[in-house]
Amino acid sequence: MNKTTLNKRLHTESEEKTKVYKPSRATRLFTVWRKLKRSKLALAGFGIVLFMSLVALVAPIIAPYEPGWMGSARLPPSLAYPFGTDARGRDMLSLVIYGSRISLYVGVAAVALELLIGVSFGMIAGYFGGKIDEILMRITDVILTLPELMLLIIAVAVFEVRSIHIIVLVMGLVGWPFAARVVRSEFLSLRERTYVEAAQSMGASSWRIMVHHILPNVLPIVIVLATMEIPWYIFYEASLTFLGFGDPASASWGVLLELGYYYIREQWWMVTFPGLALFFTSVGFNLFGDGLRDALDVTLREY
Amino acid sequence: MTLRTYVIRRLIVIVPTFFFISALVFTIIHLAPGDPSRILIGEKGRVPQEILNYYRAKLGLDQPVVVQYFLWLGSFLQGDLGYSFVNMRPVIGLIGERVRYTLELMLIAEVISVAIAVVLGVIAAVKHYSIIDAIASTGALVGYSTPNFWMALMAIMLFAVQLRWLPASGTRTLGITFASPIDALFDHLKHLVLPVSVLVLLWTAYLLRMVRSSMLEVLGQDYITTARAKGLKERIVIYKHALRNALLPVITYEGYSVGYLFAGESVIEYIFSWPGLGQFMVDMAVLRDYPTLMGLGMIIAIMVLLANLSADVAYAIADPRIRYE
Repeated sequence: MNKTTLNKRLHTESEEKTKVYKPSRATRLFTVWRKLKRSKLALAGFGIVLFMSLVALVAPIIAPYEPGWMGSARLPPSLAYPFGTDARGRDMLSLVIYGSRISLYVGVAAVALELLIGVSFGMIAGYFGGKIDEILMRITDVILTLPELMLLIIAVAVFEVRSIHIIVLVMGLVGWPFAARVVRSEFLSLRERTYVEAAQSMGASSWRIMVHHILPNVLPIVIVLATMEIPWYIFYEASLTFLGFGDPASASWGVLLELGYYYIREQWWMVTFPGLALFFTSVGFNLFGDGLRDALDVTLREY
Repeated sequence: MTLRTYVIRRLIVIVPTFFFISALVFTIIHLAPGDPSRILIGEKGRVPQEILNYYRAKLGLDQPVVVQYFLWLGSFLQGDLGYSFVNMRPVIGLIGERVRYTLELMLIAEVISVAIAVVLGVIAAVKHYSIIDAIASTGALVGYSTPNFWMALMAIMLFAVQLRWLPASGTRTLGITFASPIDALFDHLKHLVLPVSVLVLLWTAYLLRMVRSSMLEVLGQDYITTARAKGLKERIVIYKHALRNALLPVITYEGYSVGYLFAGESVIEYIFSWPGLGQFMVDMAVLRDYPTLMGLGMIIAIMVLLANLSADVAYAIADPRIRYE
């Protein structure tokens, strides 16, 4: 009998003996939702996030015009153009609706990439400790010392190709140290638990313990962190674009703001509406993140 | 461990960190496939190879990156940050001219936002769930959900373009001779109002949230109940017993967020044409002025490392237990 089947048998036997009640995934999700529902603010945040995601998803259906469609330039908001038109005569409302696709993509993709790197780093450093931890954390500290936006400016400036995907890639490569620290400190304390010892005594590999035993317990804090960091990356992309390092070909909210900036003296609507979209998205993620933090019972401190 | 050995130990750790940072920034800057000499010549299209080679040799770009790094490090250790490619002047002088504008903006905004955040945060925590608490918390939510540059744009649009109350850019009105230094100072202060207000609104939001939650946590602890049970006045309980401990995480946050604050301030500088380090960095990144970017990176790294250190020292003074960990 090889090790895995033995493990499996031990597992089922012990489960049969003790009959521990383990709620299904759906039940656990429902519990979180019930806690989340208690706070009106968290619910509002969830609503905003859902709304923005829907807008991004069905942009071609709800946008009154194609993003490339051009009419009269610089028209103030009216019934035909609720958000006015831009310098090239494009409908601002449609641009803001289509912009949500790019801005949300940037936020979600950058966070996903950041977590991939940050969680792996933090997991390895926290689980193994000692020399490995020291080396990995030294690297983390170095990157953490420099302001993220500054590293982004320098890194994006050196790439000659202006592409939204490269911006996302750079943001992920630069932004992971905070997540790494959070995950590491969780692993440092969780690896001392008895269930880890039990898994070790049954001969589980380090990889298996890290990914199957400890990581699920760190997930709540990672989810909260991700929710709260999405607006940050959307802001970073918008700031980078605004400073002239963006991808002009993809009309994110940042690009719209940069274009509107030149007409700030006469046409207020060009900078107002993309900014409001950024603001509401950020409020949504922040409220939702706060609510999730309470519902998942996570404390995020300074690391 | 005495405070002195603690500080010395922390200083020793800083040195290798600093070298790692310099190597990292150098690598990122020199990773670029392009060539700053091409930007310097300013010609689009074909430039004779001899001219490019001449410039590359002159700027020291013809050598391997590792050699370039050690040459840079050598002169850096002698206090020489090199010459700017673009301005043909020593980097240290260029930075020196601008650093005071950045410090001015950051320090003024910092002092005001800490003052507002502590006062409002304490009131919000003490009068938990009151109207003041609700207003302060909502204000904080709005503050940290607003993109900094958008808030700056809105401020310019409202106060400079529509109402014409305040100037939108620069540090002083150009083309005017001031009758007295007081007039000049007044003019300068008018230029400070918008950038400082935007920074204060943003920074207060974070601090306020932090002071409030930290104060709430402390107020729930047993020693506060004890202090009240002893019959101490509520004022003394709050300001002497609670606030001192509640401010500890705020000190750490302030010390560790200097880099982040600087980054946010750079964007504000750029929008208000404030001639500080942030705006300079953006301009030089576009032109790929390697020595200037390196110099700026190192100045910022030193600033951040020292701020981190002083936060830890301040913490160690305020809470002596930390030194023994």
